[in-house]
Amino acid sequence: MPLGRLFLRTSTVNKMVSRNSFIASKPDPSKPNMLRVGLAFGSTAVLWALLFKQHSTDVHEYKTRNGLE
Amino acid sequence: MGLLPDEAKVLPPPGIVNRNSVWFGLCGWATAMLHNSLNRRPALKAGVHRQALFITVGWFIGYHLTKFENYKYATLDRDMSEYIRLHPEEFPEKALKTFAEIVEPFHPIR
Repeated sequence: MPLGRLFLRTSTVNKMVSRNSFIASKPDPSKPNMLRVGLAFGSTAVLWALLFKQHSTDVHEYKTRNGLE
Repeated sequence: MGLLPDEAKVLPPPGIVNRNSVWFGLCGWATAMLHNSLNRRPALKAGVHRQALFITVGWFIGYHLTKFENYKYATLDRDMSEYIRLHPEEFPEKALKTFAEIVEPFHPIR
């Protein structure tokens, strides 16, 4: 049995999640919220850029402090 | 380095691919897949942007955690070496014995 099927009970049992009934709608997978998707991919790219920049700064600092360059 | 002091910059930085990054990245991916499963979506094929974001956040946290871990271990090593240097009487050089002195004489019975 696929592992996902084992978790199906949870969303029926957990009633704590609630939304405003005037504007709530079923989430529609065929119409993605492009703003949210764009923000997610954008922040992914920003984080990777930050990581690579931090890494190159660290390597440069290490080399200068130990007189290797 | 946010919570690391300046002296930590002397240490070699960890590679982009390091133990903690891979582990936290995998944990982030598992979280995204769990989120998909709990919302009755296909675990791997849905919400790829979410999976990418969680993997990236995990990888980022793992990198900085590795740096912090390296610094902590380096300070421990430095303190230990300094203690050994300041208390040589507690670390005597052991006289090494050769095997000839330890082993009993061999009397073959053929």
